[in-house]
Amino acid sequence: MLTLKQEKKRFREFLEALSDSYELIAPVKRELVKFDAIKNINDIHFEKNSYFPVKEFFFKKREVLFTFNGNRILEPKFENKERVFFGIRKCDLNAIKHQDIVFMQGANDPYYIAERERSFLLGYHCNEAPSEYCFCGSLELEDYFDMMFYDKGDHMLVEIGSEKGMALYKKFSGFFEKSTRLIAQHEKKIPGADRLKVKDIGPLYDNPDWKKGVDICLSCGACTALCPTCYCFDIHDEVKMSNPGSGERVREWSSCQLPEFSRVAGNHVFRNEREQRFKHRIYHQLDYFKEKYGIQMCVGCGRCIEGCPTRIDFVQIINEMKEGEKR
Amino acid sequence: MKKANSNKKKRKTARKSKISKASKNKNSASRENPIKKSPAISKKTRNSNPYIPKPYKVIDYHKETPDNFTLTVDMKIKHDPGQFVQVSIPGIGECPISICSDSDEYIQLNIREVGNVTRALSKLRKGDVILIRGPYGRGYPMQYLNGNDVVVIGGGCGVAPLKSVIDYIENHRADYRNVLLILGYRSDEDIIFKREIAEWDKKYKVHMTLDKEVHSHICYDMRAGFVTDAMNSLHLSKDNKIVFVCGPPVMIRNVIANLKEKGFNDDQIFISAERLMYCAIGICCHCMIRGKYTCVDGPVFRYDEIKELKTD
Amino acid sequence: MEKLLQVRNPDNKLKVGFYGITGCAGCLLSVIFNEDELLDLIKVVDLKAFPFVKEVNVDESFDYIFVEGLVADEDDLEVLQRLRKNSKFLVALGACSCTGCVPAYRQFTLKENYEHLLYRKREEIKDLQPTPVDDHVRADYYIPGCPPDKKEILNFLKGIAIGKEPKPYESPVCIECRKNGNQCLLDLGKPCLGPITAGGCNSVCINGGFECWGCRGPTKDMNLPLMIKMLRDRGFDDAFIEARMRTFVGLKMPIVEEFMKSKEAGGKLDTKFYGKKEYFE
Repeated sequence: MLTLKQEKKRFREFLEALSDSYELIAPVKRELVKFDAIKNINDIHFEKNSYFPVKEFFFKKREVLFTFNGNRILEPKFENKERVFFGIRKCDLNAIKHQDIVFMQGANDPYYIAERERSFLLGYHCNEAPSEYCFCGSLELEDYFDMMFYDKGDHMLVEIGSEKGMALYKKFSGFFEKSTRLIAQHEKKIPGADRLKVKDIGPLYDNPDWKKGVDICLSCGACTALCPTCYCFDIHDEVKMSNPGSGERVREWSSCQLPEFSRVAGNHVFRNEREQRFKHRIYHQLDYFKEKYGIQMCVGCGRCIEGCPTRIDFVQIINEMKEGEKR
Repeated sequence: MKKANSNKKKRKTARKSKISKASKNKNSASRENPIKKSPAISKKTRNSNPYIPKPYKVIDYHKETPDNFTLTVDMKIKHDPGQFVQVSIPGIGECPISICSDSDEYIQLNIREVGNVTRALSKLRKGDVILIRGPYGRGYPMQYLNGNDVVVIGGGCGVAPLKSVIDYIENHRADYRNVLLILGYRSDEDIIFKREIAEWDKKYKVHMTLDKEVHSHICYDMRAGFVTDAMNSLHLSKDNKIVFVCGPPVMIRNVIANLKEKGFNDDQIFISAERLMYCAIGICCHCMIRGKYTCVDGPVFRYDEIKELKTD
Repeated sequence: MEKLLQVRNPDNKLKVGFYGITGCAGCLLSVIFNEDELLDLIKVVDLKAFPFVKEVNVDESFDYIFVEGLVADEDDLEVLQRLRKNSKFLVALGACSCTGCVPAYRQFTLKENYEHLLYRKREEIKDLQPTPVDDHVRADYYIPGCPPDKKEILNFLKGIAIGKEPKPYESPVCIECRKNGNQCLLDLGKPCLGPITAGGCNSVCINGGFECWGCRGPTKDMNLPLMIKMLRDRGFDDAFIEARMRTFVGLKMPIVEEFMKSKEAGGKLDTKFYGKKEYFE
């Protein structure tokens, strides 16, 4: 992998240059840390990971699939203006990878692809786990970025991870020095982030300890809205008042934690019990996705725990489970 | 059909291998030439938007029962028995409807008025235009039937996808052996496909049950009770039989319990699952049963694939 | 449900009326706040009666009647029963109509306590126990909220005009709140009822930094014991919790009182809140 070096001063200048020529999106601290368009480089927040995931820029909260007038259908235009994301952590980069698998390999979702094609992903490596809830070290995360920045105190080490990253480097090569130093595997590990001790939760499905989590679950859906990998949605039509024959078909984020999620005609709800829904989320993250795509979907960012009103720490619950126990 | 099925199989394995190949490529690439690996974008072209339906003409409307009707649509497309399409009424919404015919010239959709979209669909008549995308899903494994008898168990609206199986067998009669139909309805008012059942009765063994008492007498054998009662009185043996089941969740559960009692193996039972669906292309998660998408991996499942159905 | 009329036929437009009984007229205002689309509304439905904005109101047979407010005296009841008789579908509009809301608080106090303070001629008041609409007549649909979201009313009207049966919004406020990028107010120590309250309001209160008081009523799936425990963990006493939960849906949530008195509510449960407790009253 091509490795580059950058003094901190040059790094700042690089960001300035980036924001001059592209829309630059990076974590900003408001009430909470979230990704937003950057006007001033000083606004970029480096200490904590963003409270809200970056997925909303690719898989949007609300997306117009098409507009219609009677039976005539009009496909929306896809944006192709390039933009740069800076400061995406390793977990979120892998979350993007997992969403890529769903939207681009599993299916062919043009809305997602358009947003992804126009984006450069510049990562920022965590030198230590930014939150007490992190557990990315327990999951098989890979290098998945256009460029990755490793903060080494007075300088940055930069890895190029793709053709796109290479192209961006060539455009801004003046800001980088070549380096012979390679980033070692142990440097890519994030200390203090391997809390989840159980590799395969398949046999634990009937464990009575799930109740610990279920009892303090409000089924509010905050976890799924904050999850960087969750990708479920609803589709519905919205019509215009002036002409109810015309309108748009819209998709919006949904949540598997809601009873309506599995309601069919005739009012039958397949996952009516809170426990079923709770377990469905955890199993989809750690088990089902692996079965289908060969990798666990969860990336261990800990947002669903940090953002839960009751802080359900499913990692701890799973760790404390004894195998073989059944209800 | 064999061809279609093997094609389909190929398609499926092709997709799978594509994914595994892609990930393999990535791994090997990272060892050899890291720069070439492209994590960001697979260069998949946006050839068609899978969310956009196309308009088709309705060529026939037939009222089956007071709240059930069959539309015949001028949609010339190859499909397997058991597959479904997404039907849209702009402004109202979209819903999955299984194809209940077997023809390359048209598709038939049997619809019960239960929701907004189906109520709007019931107003369509010959000559109207509807928007459809599809077909989607994995249908009934017709190649599995070679050398076996087929038992078709349907309840209420669940008979609709099974009609495509029966039509298919009729179109390829020489390839298949005995066919036994056990169809259950709530009352004689709820019987769908009356015309077709009269035809089937001439060719296959047909047993019908009504939950309520039987009032009218139609030419075919009909008894009060549930499909499971008919199964018991028929003394079904498990040898060389494949069972296709479709119906409401309660019926499926009881039928499976009954079949297990009779010693049927899991891989002899195929059920067609019903779930809430939005995208039908394996993303939106609403139709997920224990990690399997009803829209892509189903709607027809071999029982051992989704054994824990009752808990999810 | 009867087949709804299609909007395509202009002679067959749905006949719609908006009426208010005892209430603050806020919900009717909520309809009017849709200024941009209000004139288009007349193209889609036949607005037969809306005494709040219309001079000529025809009081005959309606397809849909929207009633704001609750029954507080005999006049209200008379109006309500007449409306019910004249319409195919009756829609309870707003929290008063759906659950009783603030005016129903009169139930929890004695008449002698306030009567002499408010009214000169006491003998003329023909008051009844304040009760929501569906205590007296059948309500077909409910549009909750104090006031309801103006978009929601419009969507309801659009829906019925094109033959789409309106569905209640049953997911909790939290899900919209997180989508809107808000900080969880429970984490700040505020007694927010979002997790057990049905959304559809686009989390408007929390967007403005104000906690949810549950005006749209509880979700069917709420975890009430946990919610009460969470509020207790944050240092709120039972009287406060009970009053807060009862504010908007008091008459429809006796389960709160029942639960607060039960043994089950006694147990402590750590829901990890280490912040500073603050009262916002």
